[in-house]
Amino acid sequence: MQSEKKNPSNQYCCSTLNAVPQNNALLQKSKIPFGLVFAPYKNIGPDEPEVPVVSPEVIVRCKICRAYINPFVTFVDQGTRWKCNICHVVNDLPAFYSWDSKTRQAVDRNTIPELNSSVIEFVATQEYTRGPPQPVVIMFVMDVSFQSIQSGMVATAARTILSTLDSIPNYDNRTKIGFITYDSTLHFYNLNSNLNEPQMLVVSDLEDIFIPAPDDLLVNLSESRSVIESFLNKLGNMHKSTQNVNSALPAALTAANKIIGQIGGKIAIFQSNIPNCGKNALKKREDPSLYNTSKESTLLQPADNWYKEFALDCSRKQICIDTFIFSGQYTDIATLSTLPRFTGGSIYFYPGFDASRAEDANKFSSELSRFLSKKIGLEAVLRIRSTRGVSVKACYGNFFLMASDLVQLPNVNPDNCYALEASIDKDLTSEPYICFQGAILHTSNNGERRIRVFTNIIPVTNNLTEVFANADPRAIAAFTAKKAVERTITDKLEDARNLIINTCIDIMGAYKQAFTSSGQASQLLIIENLALLPVLTQALLKNIAFRRGNIPSDIRSFALSVLYGSPIENALSYIYSKLYAIHILDANTGLPIPNTSQVYMPPRINLSMQRMTQDGIYLLDNSQHIIIWLSRGSNPELVNALFQKPYEAIASGKTTLPTPNNDYATRINNIIEFIRKDRLISYNNSPYVYIVKEDDNTRGWFISHMVEDKLDSELSYPQFLSHLREQVIL
Amino acid sequence: MSNPFEEIEDRDGIRLSWNVWPSSKAEANKYIVPIGALYTPLKEKPDLPSLMYDPITCKPPCRAILNPYCQIDVNSKMWICPFCLQRNQFPPQYREMTTNNLPAELLGAYTTIEYVLTRPASLPPIFLYVVDTCLEEDDLKALKESITQSLSLLPPQALVGLITFGTMTYVHELENNECPKSVVFRGNKEYTSTQIQSFLGLSASSNMRQQNPGKGVAPVNNRFFMPVQQCEFTISNIIEQLQRDPWPVKPEHRPLRCTGAALAVASGLLETYFQNSGARIMLFSGGPCTEGPGMVVGPELREPIRSHNDLVKESDKHYKKAIKFYNGLAKRAAEKGQVIDIFAGCLDQIGLQEMKNLVNDTGGYMILSDSFTTAIFKQSFIRILSKDSQGFLNMGFNAVLEVQTSKELKICGLIGSAVSSNKKNACVSETEIGIGGTCAWKFCGITNQTTVGVYFEIANQVNQQNANRGLMQFVTSYQHSSGQYRLRVTTVSRNIVSPNSNEIISAFDQEAAAVLISRIAIFKADIDNGPDVMKWLDRILIRLCQKVANYMKDDPESFVLPNSFSIYPQFMFHLRRSQFLQVFNNSPDETAYYRHVIFGEDTNNSLIMIQPTLMSYSFSEPPTPVLLDSVSMKPDVILLLDTYFHILIWHGETIAAWRKEGYQDQPGYENFKNLLETPKMDAQEILSERLLIPRYIDCDQGGSQARFLLSKLNPSQTHMTSGGYGTTAPNAQTILTDDVSLQIFMSHLKKLTVSRAS
Ligand SMILES: [Zn+2]
Ligand SMILES: [Zn+2]
Repeated sequence: MQSEKKNPSNQYCCSTLNAVPQNNALLQKSKIPFGLVFAPYKNIGPDEPEVPVVSPEVIVRCKICRAYINPFVTFVDQGTRWKCNICHVVNDLPAFYSWDSKTRQAVDRNTIPELNSSVIEFVATQEYTRGPPQPVVIMFVMDVSFQSIQSGMVATAARTILSTLDSIPNYDNRTKIGFITYDSTLHFYNLNSNLNEPQMLVVSDLEDIFIPAPDDLLVNLSESRSVIESFLNKLGNMHKSTQNVNSALPAALTAANKIIGQIGGKIAIFQSNIPNCGKNALKKREDPSLYNTSKESTLLQPADNWYKEFALDCSRKQICIDTFIFSGQYTDIATLSTLPRFTGGSIYFYPGFDASRAEDANKFSSELSRFLSKKIGLEAVLRIRSTRGVSVKACYGNFFLMASDLVQLPNVNPDNCYALEASIDKDLTSEPYICFQGAILHTSNNGERRIRVFTNIIPVTNNLTEVFANADPRAIAAFTAKKAVERTITDKLEDARNLIINTCIDIMGAYKQAFTSSGQASQLLIIENLALLPVLTQALLKNIAFRRGNIPSDIRSFALSVLYGSPIENALSYIYSKLYAIHILDANTGLPIPNTSQVYMPPRINLSMQRMTQDGIYLLDNSQHIIIWLSRGSNPELVNALFQKPYEAIASGKTTLPTPNNDYATRINNIIEFIRKDRLISYNNSPYVYIVKEDDNTRGWFISHMVEDKLDSELSYPQFLSHLREQVIL
Repeated sequence: MSNPFEEIEDRDGIRLSWNVWPSSKAEANKYIVPIGALYTPLKEKPDLPSLMYDPITCKPPCRAILNPYCQIDVNSKMWICPFCLQRNQFPPQYREMTTNNLPAELLGAYTTIEYVLTRPASLPPIFLYVVDTCLEEDDLKALKESITQSLSLLPPQALVGLITFGTMTYVHELENNECPKSVVFRGNKEYTSTQIQSFLGLSASSNMRQQNPGKGVAPVNNRFFMPVQQCEFTISNIIEQLQRDPWPVKPEHRPLRCTGAALAVASGLLETYFQNSGARIMLFSGGPCTEGPGMVVGPELREPIRSHNDLVKESDKHYKKAIKFYNGLAKRAAEKGQVIDIFAGCLDQIGLQEMKNLVNDTGGYMILSDSFTTAIFKQSFIRILSKDSQGFLNMGFNAVLEVQTSKELKICGLIGSAVSSNKKNACVSETEIGIGGTCAWKFCGITNQTTVGVYFEIANQVNQQNANRGLMQFVTSYQHSSGQYRLRVTTVSRNIVSPNSNEIISAFDQEAAAVLISRIAIFKADIDNGPDVMKWLDRILIRLCQKVANYMKDDPESFVLPNSFSIYPQFMFHLRRSQFLQVFNNSPDETAYYRHVIFGEDTNNSLIMIQPTLMSYSFSEPPTPVLLDSVSMKPDVILLLDTYFHILIWHGETIAAWRKEGYQDQPGYENFKNLLETPKMDAQEILSERLLIPRYIDCDQGGSQARFLLSKLNPSQTHMTSGGYGTTAPNAQTILTDDVSLQIFMSHLKKLTVSRAS
């Protein structure tokens, strides 16, 4: 293994095992799940290097297994041939990797990106393209029933889309957009570039959906720009007097599919209501009496199989569905979330959205704006290759699995992260390391067909200690979370909980069995690098997705989607929030780190009230929200510096901090803004700032993040450890 | 030629075939031509009294309306109904009446009178435009202009609605929305009216504002219908922005055009909001329905649209289905009081033959033109919206004509643009002519020109003592375009004499009779296209002649017709040759059109259609009516032919040559210039009087357009009759036809009449 060549960073790809057992028996003995969590198309932060884009004369691939040449191949025969690290076949190496015929010089292979960078993007040559590449296509499908109008969702969406039009990727002016709005009827908009104003076409026949015009419902963004602007200027007022409380989402989706089905693209749903009208309408099936029973899982499973079938049909047609949900009422997210899940989309949730609150409007607007302007890959397929002897057993993520190693991704959503579970089928004795290579053939926003390839290698060991010593508890937690989500949806919530805890117990048990002496019989021991495993396990069990308690099923379903789709960093913050004390700051804390876009963050604190002081001010980042905890005894000067009012005058709840006028407030605002910016880029999420005062009734919500403390029927961390010990030892 | 029958027509809007009736049914039947009335219920009359109160009626079940033929007793304030002979008390408001001070309805001069009823006024008239967008650009542009212009002609409070269609149907909202908005219906689907209601957002389950659909009290303002004064800007804007149907037309295909579905939606839309409120659906169509219900021809161009031959052979695969669909729609529209007009702007057929009952049953207009750019369409359409002398639109709505007879007569039926009201009483005969079995008929639309044919027969039992006269009363209730409900009453009395009295023959109105018989013949032909009608016409003509002519048995030379019958056979000759019965030179659409028109016109116009008029212009004499005969085609004359549907100016060979040389523009040839101008001016005058603009043809001897003239002329000089030595008569045109000439027709008639007499 060439030491200078690195695996992709953790954010692209991380394995639960960074030393792979030589054979399945050893793997089974370790009890550690063998999984890879990867986000090959992840959002690139401002301080991160771009993925190199190369267009070699020939894209060099193994003649047998079709793997792409990568930094980890070995050159043989004086460097004239290369040995595939997936199947070990020796291939010819094209001359341009040895001799530059233009400069008439020997090529320095250390300068060739594809031979050095483990994440790379090839510009596809002719043979990878079939027909013209898909343009960016966005079909907005917007609920305009009473709630949508009343909440200001439609007006906010219209304003945001209007102001984001210039940022929607529109290479070569090929981008197309269209709009469908709906209540108990569907409204289409003719946006023909020759019109002065849009024309609304209403279709009421929900039993037999048809498209009311052959073109002009999906129009070229550049050509129809003025009529699109006219439409968006009017949209906010168009339905202002509606009394209609119905919402025919399935019909609207069917229509959107008919409009963009020929070319594929994106359907963005904006839904304020449970889809209560037309075919495949959903019912308010929420039933608190099922909470904490074995039947609770039924609430977390789709109510109507149509949604999944529709999503699969979209997937086949290269259509991705993203879902924005705004209701304060039950919306059946369990069912609606199947739409993004099978099409590579995301779900955005704004419970009780009210645009008259600036925080709500700003959050939605920032996220929608980012959603529209970020780069996405289109009409993609992902293929995973792994060294012979290692195979992919299962895949988890928002996509449609066509074969165990082939994934259909209408959009390569950079916010999404996937996981695979690998198995060892044969003895790997002869392998120094194994290799996973993922390749995503897709259309980039500039209309090029490209292949993003990431290659990850993992050394092989026959030593169980090494297996344990190189296991990654964060990867295990993230991997287990995805697997547990799947289990919740296909089986029962309790099964998922068992999966989570048993994973931990089994690993600890295996470790104990292998490495502890009889004198240590009553002790719970784990190797250093796995020390986080129990706390992450417990945090996962206490996550709103899995914990026991009266959790409305929409909230739980949304949490399940977050865990399922999130990039690993985000998922880990969601499992184990980041808690910072912000009443005592170091000299640098909250100041920008020179030459970066980051700020110096305060040190993290364990999630336990015992770690917090009576006079502290704390900031908790759970990846979705930023919560500021104000102790009753908070330093009044700091409180005043930050809020420009005394503790008593501060209201709990969503807030917008006043413009800072002092150093302290500036630093805290820097921290918050950094989190927000980072989160918006990495996960398309612009967290709210909530204030929770210690003596307020929202404190319970804050406290529920303190996963090391006892919460309702869930154990405290020490209790949990002793529970673990009992399980492992007895 | 003053015609005594025309005076009566001017007063009462009625002409009867027989103006003195025989007292026996059996004898009456021998006169062959039934007692019939051509009646123009709303004939415009400058001196028509309008009474601002409700009429006095006889006791039930008679309900005849007080009229000049009632016997009155001013002292006891009683009146005797001449229909049922019941005594009725005058109501208190007639207390002051004396013999010298009678209310208008009792005055002999006012056998026709109009009441303005005290019923509250209805909604203003409703106009629903149904516009085909599968048109060529210039056609669509012209149509848009005409429609926009028409809006300014409507009364400001008239309610308007707009539907456009092509592959699909678009119902436009006329509210002032943020942007133009329309509700779309599939073109290939037949929606029930409940579905239409629900899709327009009007069903009970929807949470839309409640609109009280179909509750009688219709809202004046709603999203789809608004007073033209309020929505003129919006609707003009929509029409201005209207584009051709956006759906692609496949090569070698007709555009997909869902006329049937659009009409069904239109009817359903009106039904939802308004019931019996006086509404017109105005269909503007540029081609056949090729999609969905009512399909007339498939979309592929290689499939031709059906001809008369196909209809006779019953070989067209769409025809029966289409007829069933449109007839069902026509029935529903007629029930709900919707008038349907069809304006065709198409060189080819659009399916009028299939759709004709939409118009026939509802009293609408049919306008057939080659394109919406033509004057025929533009001017006819505008004229339909013309105002009467009082500034009201010349259209009545929801009219019901009810006929009452004294017991000497029974009602056989009506032929005209109406449907039966299915009201049967003692006046109704078992014998049906036209729409029979009822004494009342409904006209969703009626104008002051609408003329119907009503047929009667003498009752079985005529009481000889009292039977010195018989009575008919025509009562037309209708919604005036002002919104008022009005009632027009015409009471007719004729003498009844012994069956063989000469009075009967001399009081025969041969013109009215010809038209009445034509209506029957055409009505029959419409049901069973075929030679039977011709045989029937010949048979009844012969039998009539046998009854009324003077002749000696087996001596054709002795045959003489009374004056009052003198030209009747000639009308029948031309009727037999007319486009109404000789359909094979025309398309089914044209036939449907011609037949529709004649069913609505009065005696004079109908006669022009049956036997066109021909005027001759020459230097030698003032303009003169000449024989409709090929002998009239002389080289030095100009002929002006008026067939009602065509106005044709024909220039004889010499005149044509001169005109070609341009003499008319040279000094010294003013006479020639005048000669050319005079028929043109006369033609303009005719054009200006007609509601439906005739097709105008200017042609020369030998020109291809001259065939229109030739087809109408009596072929007295055909190749059959031309000189035995290969010469033709000088100065006369030879008609290349196998048709028999009038002369041969007459000689056959004489022969058959005298030989078959028993
Ligand atoms: Zn290989
Ligand atoms: Zn009476």
